[in-house]
Amino acid sequence: MIDEEALRSAYVFLTYLLAYLAIYLIVNLSLDLEYGKSGIPNFGKVLSVAAGAFVAGSIPGRLLGYLFNVYSGVSGITDPVVAECIRGLSPQKPTILDRMDYIEDNSIIVICINKVLYANPVLSIGILLMTLLMAAAVGAALGLVASYPALRLREDYLAMTLLAFGEFLTAIGYYTRDIVGGTLGVSVVDPFGWVGGEFRFLSATLIIAAVAGLIVLYVRLVSRSPLGRALRAMRDQEVAAEVLGKDTVALRRNVLMVSSAIAAIGGALWAFYAGGLIATAYDRATWTFLPWVMVILGGAGNEVGVLLGTSIYVTARALIDQYKGLLEPVLPFSVVWLDRLLMGIVLIVILIARPQGILPEKPVYPLGRARIRRIVEAVKSRSSS
Amino acid sequence: MAVDPLVRDAVIYASTLSMLSLGLTLTYMTTKVPNFAHGSLATVGSYTLLTFASVLKLNAYYSIPAAFLISGAVSAAFYLLALRPLINRGAGLLHQMIATIAFELVLIAALNIYADLITQTFRVQSRDVLLRRFDVQIEGIGPGVFLASIAFVAVTLTALVLLLHRTRFGVAMRAAIENPMLAGTLGVNVKLVYLFSWFLAGGLAGVSGVLLGLHYQQDPAFGSRMLVSIFASSILGGLSSIYGAVLGGFTIGLVEIYGIFQLSRAVGGWILPYRIVFPLLIMAVTLLVFPKGLSGLQLSGITARLRKGGGKGA
Repeated sequence: MIDEEALRSAYVFLTYLLAYLAIYLIVNLSLDLEYGKSGIPNFGKVLSVAAGAFVAGSIPGRLLGYLFNVYSGVSGITDPVVAECIRGLSPQKPTILDRMDYIEDNSIIVICINKVLYANPVLSIGILLMTLLMAAAVGAALGLVASYPALRLREDYLAMTLLAFGEFLTAIGYYTRDIVGGTLGVSVVDPFGWVGGEFRFLSATLIIAAVAGLIVLYVRLVSRSPLGRALRAMRDQEVAAEVLGKDTVALRRNVLMVSSAIAAIGGALWAFYAGGLIATAYDRATWTFLPWVMVILGGAGNEVGVLLGTSIYVTARALIDQYKGLLEPVLPFSVVWLDRLLMGIVLIVILIARPQGILPEKPVYPLGRARIRRIVEAVKSRSSS
Repeated sequence: MAVDPLVRDAVIYASTLSMLSLGLTLTYMTTKVPNFAHGSLATVGSYTLLTFASVLKLNAYYSIPAAFLISGAVSAAFYLLALRPLINRGAGLLHQMIATIAFELVLIAALNIYADLITQTFRVQSRDVLLRRFDVQIEGIGPGVFLASIAFVAVTLTALVLLLHRTRFGVAMRAAIENPMLAGTLGVNVKLVYLFSWFLAGGLAGVSGVLLGLHYQQDPAFGSRMLVSIFASSILGGLSSIYGAVLGGFTIGLVEIYGIFQLSRAVGGWILPYRIVFPLLIMAVTLLVFPKGLSGLQLSGITARLRKGGGKGA
């Protein structure tokens, strides 16, 4: 007889763990593409993650609002479900029958739009894909902007510049109301809900995990391709790479555009998954510093290392969250700070004891080991005959 | 008649920012690594003030020497326990910068844990807390922190000028900054100079934190949020001269408080949330037009650069 309660909590724990792992894997791989593969120290990672999240928080909801014409009074609404939903909620706030504002009446608009999305899988998937594409485009544009200093500044100046500019969106998003609700935040429309209440988090988790899997595959393919070798050449011996005809300016620019697009997709997925966002959640400790910790911990330049580093942090974090109830009565402070304390200390120890990370970067073979062996055999037999 | 609150606000912010950027520049000049945790060292000072004023019920100004020593010791401990071993092992600049990130994570976590602890133990509010009521009021001027922040800058600069130009240790310090190898050959204890500069930078950040805490609402991330302005001030100052850093800090501080207020009167209040744009803009212009900052400024050089159409960056 299996304890149903325990099974249920294990299921909740594992889906949460998987979602968290997948989202950080996306962001960390984008950092690994920049730093691990190409040697660009991006200390402004949070910028593209926040951009993706802000796209998800501000664009699809507004757009669907225009599509159903919800802003200028309930009588003009084109969708009967939305109109009925708003009429139903109007006792809470009668003014919404005449006019609505996306930020002011955000929760009402999102609740009512979600009702349509739940009943319409095609629209839901369309909105998801459209938003991810938009997030990627915005991320790529920010990567293009970041490549300007990245091509011109020395390592330390670049680190300071990217860190400072990384704060830009978070600060403005928090202090202005119009983008993502400022100090109150916004609800985000839910493109996963149509699967059905019980499986909503599972399906959202699986979709994020699938995207993370695709990105792992992409980074691995790039790493094994001639492009990957060009990036490593640029990282290790820039002058030599240039002498051999590699355009390091274009390489840096393209890497930053692609990796920022990936990070922005991660940010958008996280906002959809959480169903809401507030600008302060996109701070540099969470989305710049922690990804750096995980990449350095696992081993920069090595996807398996990045996966390991991400798993270690995410598991530690999830376990601390899980056993909060046990720890909190013993400890006179909130346990949410323990993970950062531990990670900071672990990072310093790793930097001193094993600076290349737990799993250091290994030479990447463009062909499979077996095929290389066969070629070696063939060459040997030819030379001996 | 008391001082105009806006002027007061601007002077307190600009003075503390200039001292923070002085500290960052000092550690950058010696160990060549930008300290990403420098803002949080100020928060250590703010929480020393909170402990003195709210918990121990002492005069708020007694916390100034304590904050100097505590923040200085924390900063020196980081140098001794993390940075020096890394440098000895030949770690690159990037790994040193990442070590300061680890330091920032530890500091932020420790400050939050400390804030929880004093709330739970002493029933004292420790987040989003305004400590202005612990300040002294001076007849005809207003809160004492206004004068204290001016005095802080004046005393620090005088002491530094005397130290660097009138004492053997100061001369040794300048030599160690200028050419560490040669200074080492001549018997200067370069590592001691580095340790002292980390201690001093931390100490000045701690005092800045006390003064900021007497005027602004505090939370464990306050100093961390100032990091953008500290970087902007230091880059504007050129990262190669402590006087440049002070000048940079005053410029950015006054623009951020006074400049944006005047601008909001001219163009409307919508501009106020965009305050962060100003340090970023000044930083970008500095890097593009005169990457050596204020301390490397020569008028003929700038005009030549402008004629050539922008600089090549630092």
